[in-house]
Amino acid sequence: MDQRANDTPHVSSHDGAEPLAAVLRSPGYWATVWHRFRRDPVAVGAGVLVLVIIAVAIFSPWLTPADPFDGKSFRRLRPIGTAGFPLGTDELGRDMASRLMLGARLSLFMGVTPVFLALGIGGSIGIVAGYIGGRLNTVAMRTIDVFFAFPSVLLAIALSGALGAGILNALVSLTLVFVPPIARVAESVTTGVRGRDYAEAARASGAGSFTIMRVHVLGNVLGPIFVYAMSLISVSMILASGLSFLGLGVRPPEPEWGLMLNTLRTAIYVQPWIAALPGLMIFITSITFNLLTDGVRSAMDIKV
Amino acid sequence: MASVSGRFRSDHQQPRAAGPRLSVQDLVKHFPVKHGLLDRERKLVRAVDGVSFQVMNGETLGIVGESGCGKSTTARLLMHLIEPDSGAIAFDGEPVKGTAAALKAYRRQVQMVFQDSYASLNPRLTIEDAIAFAPRVHGLARNPALARAHALLDRVGLAPHRYAGRYPHELSGGQRQRVNIARALALQPSILILDEAVSALDKSVEAQVLNLLLDLKQELGLTYVFISHDLEVVRFMSDRVMVMYLGKVAEIGPTARIYAAPQHPYSKALLGSMLSMDPDRRTRSAPLTGDPPNPIDPPPGCRFHTRCRHTAPVCSAHAPDLDVVGAGHLAACHLVHAGSAHPDAPRGVEL
Amino acid sequence: MSTLSATRPAASDADDTVLAIEDLKVSFGSGTKQIRAVDGVDLTLKRGETLALLGESGSGKSVTLRSVLRLHDERRTRISGRIRAVGRDVLELSQRELADFRGRQAAMIFQEPMLALDPVYTLGQQIIEAIRRHERVDRAEARDRARVLFELVQIPSASQRLDAYPHEMSGGMRQRAMIALALACRPRLLLADEPTTALDATVQIQILLLLRDLQRDFGLAMVFVTHDIGAAIEVADTIAVMYAGRIVESGPVRKVARTPAHPYTQGLLATRAAEGGLNAGLALAGGSKRTSRLPAIPGSPPDPADLPPGCAFAPRCSKAEAACRAAPPPPRMVRAGQMSRCIK
Repeated sequence: MDQRANDTPHVSSHDGAEPLAAVLRSPGYWATVWHRFRRDPVAVGAGVLVLVIIAVAIFSPWLTPADPFDGKSFRRLRPIGTAGFPLGTDELGRDMASRLMLGARLSLFMGVTPVFLALGIGGSIGIVAGYIGGRLNTVAMRTIDVFFAFPSVLLAIALSGALGAGILNALVSLTLVFVPPIARVAESVTTGVRGRDYAEAARASGAGSFTIMRVHVLGNVLGPIFVYAMSLISVSMILASGLSFLGLGVRPPEPEWGLMLNTLRTAIYVQPWIAALPGLMIFITSITFNLLTDGVRSAMDIKV
Repeated sequence: MASVSGRFRSDHQQPRAAGPRLSVQDLVKHFPVKHGLLDRERKLVRAVDGVSFQVMNGETLGIVGESGCGKSTTARLLMHLIEPDSGAIAFDGEPVKGTAAALKAYRRQVQMVFQDSYASLNPRLTIEDAIAFAPRVHGLARNPALARAHALLDRVGLAPHRYAGRYPHELSGGQRQRVNIARALALQPSILILDEAVSALDKSVEAQVLNLLLDLKQELGLTYVFISHDLEVVRFMSDRVMVMYLGKVAEIGPTARIYAAPQHPYSKALLGSMLSMDPDRRTRSAPLTGDPPNPIDPPPGCRFHTRCRHTAPVCSAHAPDLDVVGAGHLAACHLVHAGSAHPDAPRGVEL
Repeated sequence: MSTLSATRPAASDADDTVLAIEDLKVSFGSGTKQIRAVDGVDLTLKRGETLALLGESGSGKSVTLRSVLRLHDERRTRISGRIRAVGRDVLELSQRELADFRGRQAAMIFQEPMLALDPVYTLGQQIIEAIRRHERVDRAEARDRARVLFELVQIPSASQRLDAYPHEMSGGMRQRAMIALALACRPRLLLADEPTTALDATVQIQILLLLRDLQRDFGLAMVFVTHDIGAAIEVADTIAVMYAGRIVESGPVRKVARTPAHPYTQGLLATRAAEGGLNAGLALAGGSKRTSRLPAIPGSPPDPADLPPGCAFAPRCSKAEAACRAAPPPPRMVRAGQMSRCIK
């Protein structure tokens, strides 16, 4: 990158009528991020795996080898490698492979949706509070802190318990659990950006609050907030599974990994590998999301 | 050359009445120090505590002082980035009203270049967009604004076709500071406040940027307020110099006078701290001991009296006014005021 | 005065040379992305002498200094050459010997005291810890020595200040405390990495004078890294100007300041003199007080990752010719004791 130009000034004599000269364009921020991301094998691998899991989840109804709901008690808890049931059967005789595939749908949905909803709600609260500052900021953030003080698992359980079981209620309670941390991060990033010299310079140019927010603040703030939210997806998946495990989220017979962990609990004495399979899926998916998030974060960290 | 400057000699070049461009009167700004659970205010940082001065048309006023003197706060007050607690700032004789429209018009006239060249530029905007931002805010359409940005880049010595589409992190510190100067000039202001604008640059690059500032000033008829901690650079750039101490003006006057014969004991100490360039005439003793104090709870009376070797009872009792001690030269010190209560002061003129 | 002599370094070996650096080369990074930060530096320093390493960003001056204490990350740094400091071959020391060497034989003071001092311990605790790390003394004696050190660096109310935390002190005071910490174990070599750059003008001159006095009183050898010529002239006996990882000029301060031989040094001095006007005392800028423009070196300091094959300064040099761009100029003795890497 040729950075050191000859700094002696020269004057050109063009008047206003000439068109703008063709300009050497650097790739934009996101293009640069993408290039950096592509060169990180771990991040790319994680990305591919995430896409595979999502694809399997989406296309599961067509991919399942057997009917996930067809349970015959005479073939309960068959081990892995049984003919026709590659990953064995569960406590009701249903095909594990099919249930795991279909379960991916709900597990992913319960993991990703609350985070995105919380990103919208918490992000807005945090950005506005951070930009306006002062009393409003203090009041909003201290209120958020009250909720943030509760451990997330406890809060999720309490809210779910109050709202009742079911997917919708679980989504609501999980969203509420993630709003405070995202709001906090959004507020702190926004406050930081707002205090930077370039935001002050924009104010010194006479720009109004909305313009500064749009041009200078949002572009620099959304990236870090988004990455932080991504890091919460794995947490959300585990929490959702936990709620289902406790009977507060998804209800049977819907396949969901957390719920499957619960119903297969007793099978651990008979077929421990089968009982562990849903947990293994949760683990793999969480780790993959984490690695992907780390990769995105590193790619976005362009140093001067 | 004529056509480039011709484009920028715009509507600000109307004939104006003789008089100061900026006139500051008794400016005060205190910052509360937050304590306790509910951010209760206990103490005050008296950053600027009664500052008065003027900036004349076409001059460069240098402002010097050490940590805690209030020069950066003064710069931000001049830019109306923060509002004073009391005191007045007048532009071309008229006070600046607080309405959004009046402020916007003021901002077209007075612009600022900051110290940190990287933090002053939005990392997500291209150089041309960064420079074109202000004109577009003030109503210029996109293409003319970009054209102006390109012309300015050219004027500050950065070829537009190479730099306009770049991002701040791809430029060196000196180049970024040139961009900041171009950005400040985008609204065609008549006054530029340079807050430690060259302090973070390498010495060899600093000289280039200073030359650029001189050229621009002459070509565009600008007025500069030049804030710096580097006394040599201030001497070179400024027509008049203002020395600040703990939120007040200690001395102000023509550069040559102040550097040759400073009147205020603090100015003497500060200027005496300049490093010697002659190995055979090294500095023998430090003019001042201790550190610049904190602007929280400043000493009563004259702020400097606790460190001054000429201190007398009147100094702690009564803060000296900024009075004339020579042609265009003012100092705030009892010692140099004729007829003051200081035992060593010159006698007052008997009329 | 017994406590004063207790803090003075003992005169041991008759060898007067405290620091000798031979052909030092330092590169960072690995494989294809290696950056040569220091490219063949030779230095000698005798007891009681001060050498100023003058240069801008990217010149390699700080890297050279830190190499003397081997402060770089060993995994990512490649160092070659020889460094003999206070009778020891620094590059050959084991980790244990290195820990003994640092602080005891050679000590360093930094630009930002807040970064170099531990914020959770009082100054007294840090000095006492340093003393007891290297010498067998009890706490009371160590504390007494710490108090004497504080008085030596002119910190008022020394006993009380020993119990202060770094954040409770002002900038100048912290810098003095850091100097006291560096001198606690009576080193023979003091390495100063831009210690006054971040200080206000009136404090800067105090610290420079303090360093000069301490160095004279204790017979220290000091390497003073700076980018400010004024600071170099105030403290140094010898100046070495660095550019792009090499020393391009060196010599006694009078010769280098009055009659610089290398175009880079000439440029720096001309700029400074022009800013100073008549007060400079050196007839470099011509007579007029307000020259309309500063003599300025064009271009910017080179990127260490992207150096030209010949003289690194050639792209910015008004006297450059083809021979300069072909190969890096060898060192040339311009006059007695003054070296310049320039064929002009």
